[in-house]
Amino acid sequence: MVALDLSFAARDGDRAARARAVTLLLSLLLIIAVLMSLAIGAAGTSLWSTLGALLRGEEISLTDRVVLWQIRAPRTLLGMGVGASLAVSGALMQGLFRNPLADPGIVGVGAGAGLGAIAAIVLAGLLPAALADQLGYYVVPVAAFLGGWGSTLLLYRVATRAGRTSVAVMLLAGIALGALAGAVSGILVYMADDTQLRDLTFWGLGSLAGATWSKVLTGLPIMLPALIAAPFLARGLNALTLGESAAFHLGVHVQRVKNIAILSVAAATGAAVAMSGGIGFVGIVVPHLLRLASGPDHRQLLVNSALLGASLLLLADIVSRTIVAPSELPIGIVTAVLGAPVFLWILFRQRGVLDL
Amino acid sequence: MSVLATDVRVRLGRTQILHGVDLTARAGEVTCIVGPNGSGKTTLMKALTGEIPYDGRIELEGQDVARLTPDALARLRGVLPQASALSFPFTVQEVVSLGLLDRRDPRPVRHALAQVGLLDLAARFYQDLSGGQKQRVQLARVLTQIGTPVWHGGARWLFLDEPVSALDIAHQVQVMQIARDFALGGGGVIAIMHDLNLTAMFADHVVVLRDGAVLASGSVAQTIRPEVLEPAYGCRMSFGTQPGSDIPVILPLLAPQAGAADRAGAA
Amino acid sequence: MIARSLVRPLLRPVLSSLLCAAALGAALPAQADPASRVVSIGGSVTEIVYALGEEDRLVARDTTSNHPAAVLDLPDVGYIRALSPEGVLSVSPDLILTEEGAGPPESVDLLRQADIPFAEVPDGFTAEAILAKIRAVGAALEVPEKAEALAETVGADMRAALDSVDVKDKRVLFILSMQGGRILASGTDTAAAGMIRLVGAQNAVTSFSGYKPLTDEAVAQAAPDVILMMDRQGDHAAANDQLFANPAISTTPAAKSRAVVRMDGMYLLGFSVRTPDALRDLAAALNAGHGDAEG
Repeated sequence: MVALDLSFAARDGDRAARARAVTLLLSLLLIIAVLMSLAIGAAGTSLWSTLGALLRGEEISLTDRVVLWQIRAPRTLLGMGVGASLAVSGALMQGLFRNPLADPGIVGVGAGAGLGAIAAIVLAGLLPAALADQLGYYVVPVAAFLGGWGSTLLLYRVATRAGRTSVAVMLLAGIALGALAGAVSGILVYMADDTQLRDLTFWGLGSLAGATWSKVLTGLPIMLPALIAAPFLARGLNALTLGESAAFHLGVHVQRVKNIAILSVAAATGAAVAMSGGIGFVGIVVPHLLRLASGPDHRQLLVNSALLGASLLLLADIVSRTIVAPSELPIGIVTAVLGAPVFLWILFRQRGVLDL
Repeated sequence: MSVLATDVRVRLGRTQILHGVDLTARAGEVTCIVGPNGSGKTTLMKALTGEIPYDGRIELEGQDVARLTPDALARLRGVLPQASALSFPFTVQEVVSLGLLDRRDPRPVRHALAQVGLLDLAARFYQDLSGGQKQRVQLARVLTQIGTPVWHGGARWLFLDEPVSALDIAHQVQVMQIARDFALGGGGVIAIMHDLNLTAMFADHVVVLRDGAVLASGSVAQTIRPEVLEPAYGCRMSFGTQPGSDIPVILPLLAPQAGAADRAGAA
Repeated sequence: MIARSLVRPLLRPVLSSLLCAAALGAALPAQADPASRVVSIGGSVTEIVYALGEEDRLVARDTTSNHPAAVLDLPDVGYIRALSPEGVLSVSPDLILTEEGAGPPESVDLLRQADIPFAEVPDGFTAEAILAKIRAVGAALEVPEKAEALAETVGADMRAALDSVDVKDKRVLFILSMQGGRILASGTDTAAAGMIRLVGAQNAVTSFSGYKPLTDEAVAQAAPDVILMMDRQGDHAAANDQLFANPAISTTPAAKSRAVVRMDGMYLLGFSVRTPDALRDLAAALNAGHGDAEG
């Protein structure tokens, strides 16, 4: 049935039906990934027997309860949010910058968030004790979020003149800001002591290991509005593939699309990076795979990116926490090891298209 | 039922591009804007379509263009750009579907593709097409956007920026015929043209620009004449007529001595 | 807002202890037994557990615990600052014995929520700090007499070692790494500085604390008589050639006599039960002007 549908879709040049079939498949994949993420882990706590015990009204051990409810559940939710945020942000940036290789790093989120995190790790001791107590271990995520958000707004201001945002200026300013953030980070790294240096390394590699309910409850409310806003930009981004003036002629309020897209990306990526550190390649590989599978129409691309990004991050996280159990491989390593070869393969196969 | 521009001035940076242009284009007619490179044709088009800010006043169907939202403008007029880049691998069908403003009803898409003669290529990737095919796909997209020539009792407008520049001679005529049919159906067409012969064949009204101002304006008989065009372009021309009609045919003439001397000097 | 921010820190521990107590219920009396499933985090702590003869109670270790060799057979729960909460829980520990600085704090919180006791052992770079570590480990494992005996033995050994070593006039430069020719050296307040002080030598760099990159001129100015480094895999002769070929180091007295000492990192810097031996080895090697001392 589906196969018939696909061949028809391909023949008349409209891949919307195929993209909707992909949406269905990805929804199933996400459900499977969520169940796996809840069921698999170093502790060997079984999801099914625990759920069974719960249903039968039996006592569950404290360890099982903590593993399922305090460790795997928030980690799964955070992984979904982070994966969806990174992938959707990537798709939004690629649509806005009309460049299949753009990622949220382009608007300075990565550099700013990195600088914020490094500053928090190295300078946390300088915070007033009262504030430090209140923030607790949120110092790093909060600083990363503020850093990412702040640098994006700064770039945005630099690139916007008379109500029009120049994408080219934003790119160039992003490079300059990245260099500056890198230099300041370098100074902070120089000031760091041994322990802080190791924290920096692990932050840079990314991990969902710190997932707690309070992180989920602070992170998701920032990511969700951005994820919900994204599909409303689909028509505008589709029109933008023809260029800004053609998009305007098609009735798109181009500046509004830019505003919403950039702020959404800053929020979603800022929160994702703040919660989980540096996780690479999801934002580039996921939208690109989906474009190959079912076309670049943003109406389906954004939704499918969220689904695939969430699934992939959950699966990568499962690998990261089981492959060297009871220790843990930073998830950034897993996504890069899996993502980089895929990306190279895409570049190899797609040279013709990318040279457009 | 018109596009009415009054004293339109546009400044880009320190350069004044348009020095007070007046223009009237009526629905039911094909209005062609001609003039040498740098005369301000494209800038005028951008002002008329609401893409860039301007001084003066432009009315589209009685409404102030500067005050219309992008969406309202998109329902009143479609714009075919000179060249279109496409940043992602869409199929022809998908590119034309970008013109659909509302619900997903594929019929206008198929109809527009049939009009430009590209229905067979609907499933092909846009980037695999020839330049001329791409141009016609873009026209189909604009036709899909603009739909019928008449809407709510008013006219809709087709703005074409050098619509035939990438086309062979047969397709040039095909595209101009589509434009004329749109005008005959009650819509308005404003086209920037480099080809004076096609202009002579298809225009109801011609506006000649030079140095950001209107040099002449009127019917083909009034404007496609040596006295108007030779000073406008700074080029000598030979004028004839098409066999069996009074439609002008224009050929450029070499300025023999100067041209020969230049080539000899270059060699 | 202010009221909330004041109340929350107070309320939280109360609530969580209530919840824990409620959850545990009948399980509480079992806590009275000494811990039998211990995760040891930090090489120095692990060495003390072995010296106390309590290694049978260990179920897991961290990445830095690599001595004695038998400990490598235990599962590794990761780096001390990047513990995975589920990984630690997967070995069903009833005590986590750790050096200062276990983290990340979120993981530590989760482990506390799972009601797993934490014993943090204070760190320090003096003879007294070693004895304090031993006593802290003994207390956590509920073998205080054994720990006291071990502390006395190690303390006596330490005094003997300190009396015997004599390297007064040696200026020692500890190099942590030489990535790309950039010399990362120890200033003050590091384990390396502690060992150099204990052995009675002079630290060649005292102008900063921690490990920092050193400019070529500062290396020349430090004028070390001996270079001290951690032991690495591979060909030491070639590594030494490379070391003394470094333009900054080539001007120093150490280069003229090709004086470099390499010791196992955990042995040299662990500040644990092997430290007296490490001091003797270090002194002998510094006096000889070279050496590849093994633990």
